[in-house]
Amino acid sequence: MKILVCFKAAPKVEMLLEEDWVVDKKHKIDTSFVRSELSSYDESALEMALKLSDATQGLGILLRLNALTVDNRSAAPILKTLNALQFETVVRVEPQEDLLFHSTVVAAIISQYIRDHASQDVVMMGRQSDIGENAKTPLLTAEMLGWPCITQATQIEPADEKHLIVTHQVDDGYARVKVRMPIVISVGDAPCSYLRKPTLRDRLNHGKKTIEVLSADAFDLPAETEVFTELSILRHERAGKIIEGESPAEKAKKLYKAYLKPVLSEKKVQF
Amino acid sequence: MKAKCILNGCMATFQAQAEELNGFLDRCSSEENRPDSTILFYTDKEDRDALLAYVPTECVELVRVDYYQPESILAALQHIEDKADTALYLFPPGISGADLAVRWAFRRKGSSLVQVEEVAFEAHWLIAKKKAYADHVLASFRLDRQPFCIAPAKGCVDRLPVKGRDNLQIVEHNLTELKKDGFVRDYQWVPAQQAKDLEAVKLLIVGGRGLGSRQNVHHLKDMAHAMGAEFGVSRPVALNAWAGLHRLIGVSGTLARPEVCIAAGVSGAAAFYAGIEKSKFIIAINTDPQARIVRAADVAVIDDCKAVMEELLKISEPVDSVS
Repeated sequence: MKILVCFKAAPKVEMLLEEDWVVDKKHKIDTSFVRSELSSYDESALEMALKLSDATQGLGILLRLNALTVDNRSAAPILKTLNALQFETVVRVEPQEDLLFHSTVVAAIISQYIRDHASQDVVMMGRQSDIGENAKTPLLTAEMLGWPCITQATQIEPADEKHLIVTHQVDDGYARVKVRMPIVISVGDAPCSYLRKPTLRDRLNHGKKTIEVLSADAFDLPAETEVFTELSILRHERAGKIIEGESPAEKAKKLYKAYLKPVLSEKKVQF
Repeated sequence: MKAKCILNGCMATFQAQAEELNGFLDRCSSEENRPDSTILFYTDKEDRDALLAYVPTECVELVRVDYYQPESILAALQHIEDKADTALYLFPPGISGADLAVRWAFRRKGSSLVQVEEVAFEAHWLIAKKKAYADHVLASFRLDRQPFCIAPAKGCVDRLPVKGRDNLQIVEHNLTELKKDGFVRDYQWVPAQQAKDLEAVKLLIVGGRGLGSRQNVHHLKDMAHAMGAEFGVSRPVALNAWAGLHRLIGVSGTLARPEVCIAAGVSGAAAFYAGIEKSKFIIAINTDPQARIVRAADVAVIDDCKAVMEELLKISEPVDSVS
């Protein structure tokens, strides 16, 4: 069973200060000075793939994990970690331009990579990246490959060499389905899915393995059907009045008497 | 512009989705581009007549399917819309609407955008806006290729009750025998574990990563219940399995609108804040005065959230008895 996990590194925008949220001339936010991390849903996808690998041991199912990112060099530390976690192949496709809002292009690269470079049985990725939030790449990848797609997966278990059991969120609950491969699985809010840390020994033994780098030019890239035009900043600000006091008890008392009780009593009060 | 609504009657959330879509139509569509027809999917488990009361258009195509599975719905849509020249499809907010919108647009060689906050129609294209950069900005897109397939963001508009129509024109399709989704071998539906309706409570207390441990999260939950409040958590708490996913507040969980929300140990990431921004009054308790939640709250206490909550519990009357 060959599994390709696709992921993206995203700048940790929670580190930006209020004054950093400025739209530049290229209609972007400058995030170059904050570190990049694995996009949270992709991190869950990578860990779920590793858990699936753990679960197949002893079942006689040979599982081969591969990872792919369409990203610039900011993804390099993550790729090294995946090498150390013994992903069999780790590939980075170097984009020629910023693909933040280009999910059609990213899906085209992933699907062509599978078709032309390395066939797979399962493609996994997060439901959306933390920054682009397009929520389209797994669905478009499935369409381009002509494969079915299960979205919002929260748990994946092995069934046999040709089937997986996937628990996934639907609008009114969860569905647990046994599915035949090939399949694209997009990962949603999955508990306990922070990516494990490789051991020092694994870092030393496997972390320096070669990372294959391909150019996006090598792929047939479609035109985007949705053209990004501009950004505007959303500000979420209220009064933010600080309640002063010497101790938690004093602050709690002021909070309750001046604000909480009147609001809950639905009395009109001036803040 | 010929426009159609798509509704998914197979979900228990049908009424909420229909009313939210109706609210979206009310806010964003004009006389010329308001959909006049709805395609409504359902199974034999649903009450067909009850579903019809939530159709927001004059005409409806009722499509009976075996059970909800996107592959089957897409095949049914293809069957019904094969020769249609529909320029705009409005899918319901939520998971199924977003899944279908993207895939249907691809199959029809159109363009799609999901989690949409607002749309504006122009001569030959559609301008749609959605949140990006972890919900800190609103990004605008121009959709050039018809059909435009749009799924609104959950909670982007208030629910608007649908006025039932006496003269609804109904066309029925039974597509239960249409191509089956052969890749699914076994299907089992598990209803979501429900916390009390978190969307409309008087007092909501939300715990964040700042609580530091599962034990503290459980302690805060007990305190919330002792105060007569409902309890929710931020995404890091839910993903650490310190609380069930059904308690998740934020973009991918519940969008709450309580009278008062106390955010304890929550940093205030924008994706979380979307889940409480419709609260009438927000109280932040956090050790960090620079935390985003402090500016986004009406009042804030800068201190250890566990200690403050324990003191608050000592002096609070349960919510129902406050008067």
